[in-house]
Amino acid sequence: MSYNVYNVYMHFPVLAIMTLFVGAFCVTLAGKHEKVRNVIAGCAVLISFTLLALLVKPVMIDGNIITYWMGNWEPVEGYAIGIAIEVDALSLFFGLLITIAVACSCFYSYQYMKQDDARGSYFTLYLMLSGGVLGIVLSGDLFNIYVMLEVMTFAAVGLTAFRTWNPNAREAAFKYLVVGSIGSTCALLGTALVYAQCHTLNLAQISAILPGNLNPTTILAFALLFAGFGCKSFMFPFHPIAADAHGAAPSSVSVLISGVFTKTGVYGIIRVCYFLFRSMGLTSVQTMLVFIGCLSMFVCVTMALNQHDFKRLLAFHSISQIGYILTSLGLCTALGIAGGLYHAINHTLFKGLLFLTAGSVLYATGTTYLEKLGGLARKMPQTTALFLIGAFSISGIPPFNGFYSKWIIYQATFEKAAGGSIGYALVTVVCVVTSVLTLASFIKVGHSVFFGQANPELGNVKDPPLGMRVPMWILATLCVLTGLFPDLMLRYIIGPATAAVLNSVGYIDAAMGAGYAEAHLADPSLLAAPQLISIGAWQPASWLVLFVIVLLAVFLCSLLSRGNSARGLESDAKHAVFFGGERAEYSHISGGDLFWGFKHNLRGYLGFMSRVHTGVTNDYVLWGVTATAVIIAYCFVTM
Amino acid sequence: MMLANYIGAIALIVIGFYAMISKRDIIKIVVGMGIVDYGLNLMIVSIGFNEGGTAPIFTFGELVSGMYFVDPVPQALTLTSIVIGACVTAMALALCVRIYKEYGTLDTHEIRRLHG
Repeated sequence: MSYNVYNVYMHFPVLAIMTLFVGAFCVTLAGKHEKVRNVIAGCAVLISFTLLALLVKPVMIDGNIITYWMGNWEPVEGYAIGIAIEVDALSLFFGLLITIAVACSCFYSYQYMKQDDARGSYFTLYLMLSGGVLGIVLSGDLFNIYVMLEVMTFAAVGLTAFRTWNPNAREAAFKYLVVGSIGSTCALLGTALVYAQCHTLNLAQISAILPGNLNPTTILAFALLFAGFGCKSFMFPFHPIAADAHGAAPSSVSVLISGVFTKTGVYGIIRVCYFLFRSMGLTSVQTMLVFIGCLSMFVCVTMALNQHDFKRLLAFHSISQIGYILTSLGLCTALGIAGGLYHAINHTLFKGLLFLTAGSVLYATGTTYLEKLGGLARKMPQTTALFLIGAFSISGIPPFNGFYSKWIIYQATFEKAAGGSIGYALVTVVCVVTSVLTLASFIKVGHSVFFGQANPELGNVKDPPLGMRVPMWILATLCVLTGLFPDLMLRYIIGPATAAVLNSVGYIDAAMGAGYAEAHLADPSLLAAPQLISIGAWQPASWLVLFVIVLLAVFLCSLLSRGNSARGLESDAKHAVFFGGERAEYSHISGGDLFWGFKHNLRGYLGFMSRVHTGVTNDYVLWGVTATAVIIAYCFVTM
Repeated sequence: MMLANYIGAIALIVIGFYAMISKRDIIKIVVGMGIVDYGLNLMIVSIGFNEGGTAPIFTFGELVSGMYFVDPVPQALTLTSIVIGACVTAMALALCVRIYKEYGTLDTHEIRRLHG
């Protein structure tokens, strides 16, 4: 690594993290001056984003890896004593999507948080959360990752409990803290065991020493780190706390918890499986990750069908999409990794957008309860349009971004199935079914919130102010752009990040000096050159034309039928049976009615799922501890 | 000698998790989280122990090759972990106070407005 050429760039990652933490401190100094607080927070997130965006050229395009030793404590005689910040394309990829979401949500919360009474400390916690998340993905030191994980968890718990007028906020925060502490404990114990084996905490050096040296201690360490980061990504048995936390937190914070916080778990799993232990080549680890991913995907999407609260429903979808990412990363093929990373960035964008629209609905109407809302499309046209963009994206409708990443994931799983492991065909089926159920669930939300009959109580609602709409439009534009230009995305963003996932030798050499990996890596056969191939053709532009044509046709039909007053059914025919024929004042066909046949047939399963999510903290702890124990046992049996 | 420490650490962690799983009082759950933390700290500090080593407190002038002392890094980790554990406990107890004010109970089976 030529330090001279990238002298300036070297300092950018640490400055990006520092800006956020210093900003958090300065916000507190500003005290009661709300404008000053807002300006400081806005500047901090923008500077942080700019610093990382400037790194795109040297890291993503030129393929360099930036290593920065805090206090210039460089490795001595092949031992990394100091704390490193190491930014390869993978770190930068996650860093960029984090800072984009943080910036949009920050500007959104200027207006949105006006509803709260105690907002003095909001941006302090907000910037601490952002700084912690950014610290995790840019750090090159295992213990630093743990500390940042705790900083992030604290800030997130504080923000979950933030709304004084939300009666559920404290309960959600407590559950989150207790169940989240299982993950933190596992991560720290894993870190300690790794240190016991390697006598270093530097990620690069561990990645050189550990792979191929499987003994009981390292297997235990792997299982614990996996479970710890899995808990932070809210994978399957940890998902109830995510739903509680998202529902209770302000929407601008839900964006961070859903789009950003979970990504640190995904990032941690990538680092642990592909770098530290290089255990991803083992079939057992692939099976475990894919299995957990599929479970998260399917269980959470069916839980979402059960929900009556807009934000809680979105929260379950969020974990369901994380399931896609984990499944795809578990395939351990270049195509699978690319699909997973592509879905990661898409997830941040569309989930952020959806949570912000939910926040706008809450801001305008004061409730997110699906049965109380209805017919908002006329009064909040822009919010409706934004919601539709988000819903189309998450359901994977072309030409929006969710389609392309899911397409890659289907391909990757199918490719794996075609390669001999027939079981992966079932994974493809689960992926497709989940996607369909996602769409069904968003039709339900769209119907009961934005369409259908208007609730007369919501007489004078209107679109949120400009300050809230602009961040949403930015996210919506990014959703469309990442869907329309997948080739550019693959070439400049996803491709380098995928290559970085498979290039642990480069990661090691950049930190420890050239040739270190070759000298220390036990099994050189692990070093495979990445091959990024995409089967099938995908022309987003033609799909866009088709989409516009269909939209126009629907619009035209509805215009034509408007004059035609003869209707087959009266507007409240569905409820006429119950009212003896007289006209009902207000009969909203709620989201629950829309799929009643489907839900009736599945009532056994859905009722069971609803019953086991008891809401009792002990049960959730039991699930978490059991999952950890099962993962440990599985790793010992199969590795 | 270290084996006893490891067994003790694991036992503490298991006891802590048991308390978190089986105790319905949320204060006892917080105590359980604390016990898990103590077990963890004991584990980490035991990892850095060398039989017969001295305390790792030297100036650069005193350091000569072949000196034998315990590993200082796990001790630093333990200190950090203790601080974080204290923060977790403080925050959890603060939430318990608020929950008690809002729900009038500390029983987890009654603090379940969010479920299903």
